[in-house]
Amino acid sequence: MKLLSLLFFGFLIQPTLSVADAPKGYPFQSFDEAMTQSQQESKLLFVYFGRYGCGYCEKTNQEAFIDPEVKRRYSEHYALAYVDAESGKRLRLPSGERITERDLGTRYDALVTPVFTFLNPNGESVYRMVGVQRIEDLIEADSKIQSALAKARQ
Amino acid sequence: MIRKRLAVLLLLAPFSAAFAELWEFESAVDVTAASNGGKANFFHHLDSAGRRNIATNSDGVAITWEDDRDGTPRIYLAYKGLDESAFSREVRLSGEGEAYEPTIIALDRSRYAVAWEENGHVMTRSVSIDGKVELGQVVQLSETAGAQANLTQGNRVAYALWSERASRYGRIRYRPMTVDESGTFQLGEGCYIDPIPPADEQLYPTAAVSGDELIVVWEDRRPKHTIIMAATGQSGKPCQFSEPLRISEKPDGRDLPYGTGHGVSRVALGTFGKEKVFAAWADKRNFRDGYDIWGAEYTPDETGFRTNEKVQDDFSGLSKQRNATVDGHANGLLVVAWSDEREGHTDVMLSWREQGEWSDDWTVSVASGAGHQNNPTIALDDDGNLHVAWVERKAIGGTTRLKYAFGKLQGD
Repeated sequence: MKLLSLLFFGFLIQPTLSVADAPKGYPFQSFDEAMTQSQQESKLLFVYFGRYGCGYCEKTNQEAFIDPEVKRRYSEHYALAYVDAESGKRLRLPSGERITERDLGTRYDALVTPVFTFLNPNGESVYRMVGVQRIEDLIEADSKIQSALAKARQ
Repeated sequence: MIRKRLAVLLLLAPFSAAFAELWEFESAVDVTAASNGGKANFFHHLDSAGRRNIATNSDGVAITWEDDRDGTPRIYLAYKGLDESAFSREVRLSGEGEAYEPTIIALDRSRYAVAWEENGHVMTRSVSIDGKVELGQVVQLSETAGAQANLTQGNRVAYALWSERASRYGRIRYRPMTVDESGTFQLGEGCYIDPIPPADEQLYPTAAVSGDELIVVWEDRRPKHTIIMAATGQSGKPCQFSEPLRISEKPDGRDLPYGTGHGVSRVALGTFGKEKVFAAWADKRNFRDGYDIWGAEYTPDETGFRTNEKVQDDFSGLSKQRNATVDGHANGLLVVAWSDEREGHTDVMLSWREQGEWSDDWTVSVASGAGHQNNPTIALDDDGNLHVAWVERKAIGGTTRLKYAFGKLQGD
């Protein structure tokens, strides 16, 4: 009951919250929550810049993110953030600046959606993929990133 | 006088060299000199539903914005007389809560109304600037959680609009109001623009008065992607609006197996000519180009909003355009400005419409060049001069400055 109340009032105090299109079954969070996780767990951040109703986002969700291996790799290896590039939902950047998800999409050049960006815990882009992705694209990107991280740790 | 001058300009337009510059801009000035003692960066934001953050009257120009100079986002207003070279008066408008996205209108020669979001509610107050600055009482407009405030006025009535969240989805609500001599708001009956409970988000409203009509436009997600919708009401008939209609068109041949439709973002409105209204927004119908600036004209004696037209020219390639802001003059002059990255940095660009044609896109020289000149807001004064404010930063994520420039109408 307490949880239900919290969820209900959570809706009321989020006046700019908008529906988004993150793939189902993944632990996607808001950008600032994922950034905090990224810093606490020293993980890279994987940011999915989508848009409400975006066709190529839905295609990637249904044809690539649905894959169990993709889901395992991305859920384990990264702090996952979903950003609706048209949303007025606010977030706080590491600099302390409060901006909207739409502004964040502009700053990270989410010109067309979807855009998938790997960020280090400082928010710097280390790798980026634009447009529809296949299962093999996502797995290859993860392999490259993990291989680079392993080399860096040696 | 001004009407004659503008008429001459309009007649000369076909013979001019590809739409010569219509305004000559003075050097940009800082709107605020506020600092936080060098403790840390702080950030100015010049955003609001309808991008109405600047207002002029016969005496001066006022700009409202949000910054976090003391660690909390708050709303401020700065004012300068038209004959002053710098902003001389600045005042904080919001209270102790986090505040965002202020919007402003000029009520008369010396008074303004400002509305903003604070602690999840929509607030408003009047500001009188007649020698000294006097603030009216803060009034809460939203009954439940609300955001994305917009103000407009006409026929001596001001109208506040916002997205109110009484249930799961934001829903556009409006309230007429008048201000007495003491600066006190008299609130009229408020209601939702669409009486049918929303099936999805209704966001970022803005409005304009055309004759006896109040035209309201907003972002709407009912088709499971974002579109621009409009409804009209008539003065003297509060809370009676037409059935909302979609005004951002669906491009032909785009029935893809995935997704629900293309995106649009942040509509702005301006009035011009004889009771005409123009809506401009960022539109992703040419999806490979990202967002471009599109719009539609509303003519009261016709069937509402006309066919969509592309405001910007076709020389922008894959660069980003966004943050459309609109204003017009009773003489028929209409101008749209926006943020544009075609030159490799963020500039303020604009286009004006003459004899039904949009000019070439024109860079505001004092709001362009290295770095980022972003989030413009514009206002035309009674003489057709263009007032522009924007946020300047050297690098993405870096600290900001709030800038203003005066554009003198050419042709004297």
